[in-house]
Amino acid sequence: MAGTISVEQQIQARTVERADAETSAIPWYIWCCLASVVSAVVGSAWDISWHESVGRDTFWTAAHMLVYLSGILAGISCGYLILSTTFQKNSPLYAVSISMWGFRGPLGAFICAWGGVAMIASAPFDNWWHNSYGLDVKILSPPHVLLALGMIGIRFGTLVMVLAEMNRAERIYGRRLERILFVTVVFLMGMTVGISQEFTNRIFMHGARLYLVMMIAAPIWIATVAWVARSRWAATIMTALYTAMHLCFTWIFPLFPAEPKLGPVYQHVTHLVPPDFPMLLIVPAIVFDLMRRRIADWSRWKQAATLGVAFLVSFIAVQWPFANFLMSPASRNRIFETTNYPYFVPSTSPWVRNIFVHTEHTSGEFWVRMMIALCVAILMVRIGMAWGEWMQRIRR
Amino acid sequence: MKKDFRRLVTLLGALLLTAAIPALAHVGSPDVYYEGDAGPYHLFVTVRMPQVIPGVAEIEVRCEGHDVNSVQIVPLRLSGPGSTFPPTPDLAAPSKGDPQFFTGRLWLMESGALQVRVMADGGKGTGELSVPVAAFAQRTYAMQKPLAGLMIVLMLILGIGMISIAAAGAREASLKRGETPGPANARRAKIAIAVTIILVAGLVYLAKAWWGAEDTNYRNRVAFYQPPTAETRLENGDRLVIRARSENPTWSAKINMGEVVPDHNHLMHLFLVELPGLNRLWHLHPTLLDGTFADDLPDMPAGHYQVFADVVDARGFPWTLVGTVDLPKINGGGLAGDDSSWSGDPIGSREGQRVSQLPDGSRMIWERGAGPLKANATMDFKFSVQDKNGSPADDLEPYMGMAGHAEFVRSDLSVFAHVHPAGSMPMASLEMAQAGLLGHTPSMPSGMAMASATGTLPAQVSFPYGFPKPGDYRIFVQVKRAGKVETGVFDAQVQ
Repeated sequence: MAGTISVEQQIQARTVERADAETSAIPWYIWCCLASVVSAVVGSAWDISWHESVGRDTFWTAAHMLVYLSGILAGISCGYLILSTTFQKNSPLYAVSISMWGFRGPLGAFICAWGGVAMIASAPFDNWWHNSYGLDVKILSPPHVLLALGMIGIRFGTLVMVLAEMNRAERIYGRRLERILFVTVVFLMGMTVGISQEFTNRIFMHGARLYLVMMIAAPIWIATVAWVARSRWAATIMTALYTAMHLCFTWIFPLFPAEPKLGPVYQHVTHLVPPDFPMLLIVPAIVFDLMRRRIADWSRWKQAATLGVAFLVSFIAVQWPFANFLMSPASRNRIFETTNYPYFVPSTSPWVRNIFVHTEHTSGEFWVRMMIALCVAILMVRIGMAWGEWMQRIRR
Repeated sequence: MKKDFRRLVTLLGALLLTAAIPALAHVGSPDVYYEGDAGPYHLFVTVRMPQVIPGVAEIEVRCEGHDVNSVQIVPLRLSGPGSTFPPTPDLAAPSKGDPQFFTGRLWLMESGALQVRVMADGGKGTGELSVPVAAFAQRTYAMQKPLAGLMIVLMLILGIGMISIAAAGAREASLKRGETPGPANARRAKIAIAVTIILVAGLVYLAKAWWGAEDTNYRNRVAFYQPPTAETRLENGDRLVIRARSENPTWSAKINMGEVVPDHNHLMHLFLVELPGLNRLWHLHPTLLDGTFADDLPDMPAGHYQVFADVVDARGFPWTLVGTVDLPKINGGGLAGDDSSWSGDPIGSREGQRVSQLPDGSRMIWERGAGPLKANATMDFKFSVQDKNGSPADDLEPYMGMAGHAEFVRSDLSVFAHVHPAGSMPMASLEMAQAGLLGHTPSMPSGMAMASATGTLPAQVSFPYGFPKPGDYRIFVQVKRAGKVETGVFDAQVQ
């Protein structure tokens, strides 16, 4: 009898929890920050494609507006959140806020606001840079990195805000928040992988440098999400979302017409040049998820070493032969989009000629760099683990 | 006090700009002026070059007739790979007040010899022309104080903000609802502060190093395109040898003086101007031997001379070698070939005069308006030649294939431009540009076509040009009459 009551109570408790979770709306500030992040992601991808297809722009292109809208949206929404938490009597967030410079608010709100300020600060800096050193010719310049730091700040702040909410939430509501967590980590990994794209072209896929760059950019997020999320397939889900998002850009951009406005024009461009086919990070992510369950009781450094090695080895195992495919005529279709080149790439370029460029001059240099990549992979996984553990503790 | 400071800043800015104005092709005169035909349409084109590359050039196109409906403009390389792959052209906007005046902006993405192609469309069909331009980074540009102040404040906010966020996060982020931080949290906050200070300091250091490297790279690009020095030495009493030397170590590796191309029949146009009064001018044509230039000087008095030596490299990029030379009295004999000379009174003595007396009693008249001369205004400098009876001269003939040559020299030598009736670009570059036009048939640009057709020329010659900055200028106008080169000299005060 007592057992029957207990089951009923459990069912009742779960029903109440489910009802609570269903009625618990994701807070407006998380949606605002997520919208800000999406705005920056779409704006950045569009802007890069624009520079590769049209070449010339002004401050007022739609892509730029989306990027700066991101900073403004995050800055205003988080600024308001901080001010309302600080000054509003009985603010529900007051008891779960941190204090800084006399203000109170969620930690993520302060980080997002910092990102907004960094993005806005990069605008006059970038303008001056153009006046002094010429208009944009490359992605990596100090003002662009400041802008990127701001975007990272907003993405990281959004992640922290989601984590705080998630770590305070009950199970079902927490699961809903976890989906948003995956999306925010996708954007963070998209940022670090995207900023490395000058080194990750398919012509470099048979060199060690690409793998070193990718070990700096990707495993930290894979490990972070795996350690912070409750799902057993966290790394796989996150990387699948990343791949899907990247494929969306790869497949959708060519639908929009564009023509070069700068010369010399070496490639016949009739539409927006899409990003390259995404890296096969999904495979090492699956390997990562499978392995970490089996070694969960090992010491952290031992886990990091095993997962780091597994990640790099499985990544090379799939990406290296896949590079051969990307170089072959079989990949020249609407799925893999390997015939899209920026207008400024000469026909003599190894990229257009589908020739691998060896970034290391000797086999010794290759193996030294690969060993460095291995060490970096282990270190990044370990940092990701530590981050993930820290993130599990975030409550505010 | 504030006004004085502003004045000081303005003065310093002006001084810096003056010091940094490059001397290229023409010394201190980077904008390009062109007059020529685009098919059936006679156009005047001005290309105002950007200060930095990549940068935006301002294009102005004035049509002589009234039948041009639209003008398209597009930049591309002058020669080599890329010179045949133009992007989609831009439509120049017609002026509201003058429908035959069009303006547009073009991005010039790379340094070097480029061209701006102009396509005109109207009642007589379509026509196109091409204007060679020398694109190069002209100056360094310090951050303005208000902006620097704003950036420092923002960076301080960001730096201190990052440290404060890290501290607050370490102290309070893991606390449960309503919980207050304890001593362990405070300790973690201190560690976070220390770590973040190191991180911020590292970021600042790296950013500074990166910025410094980018700045050095840019300054090297500016230095690369500074005019090479004309190193001179005198051999055998009258043979002047000129060698180009640049402060930039990569210049001599990339620019081969042994491969310069002929510019209206000569590999080098050497101008020797006596200092300080600019009261003597020699226009000579040295020959090339193993990357150095040499010329047997004609009779010359001893003196201190400014050297301006124009050459065009194999890609069509114009260079002006600049230097000075002290010469003893030269007994080299008379002028030979296309060489010419002039001597007279020093700069400033002809201010306001519109007539320059020529040696045989004839005269050259500068047909200019009554208003003041303005810097950066596109002008058509018109000069007519009258014989000693006051009638238009009927014996003008081509001088090196053209109706005339004009040299514009600023009193402080910061500006030197060698201009022709077709414009301010070298003829060698212009020929390269015209050769790339669709359906191009070899023809002479403005000022050259008439000469080759008839053998004699009208008594009037004109030069499209604009003074690049205010100051006192001397204009040497050289024409050829009955086999003899004559030089009219005018002084101009430009506001």
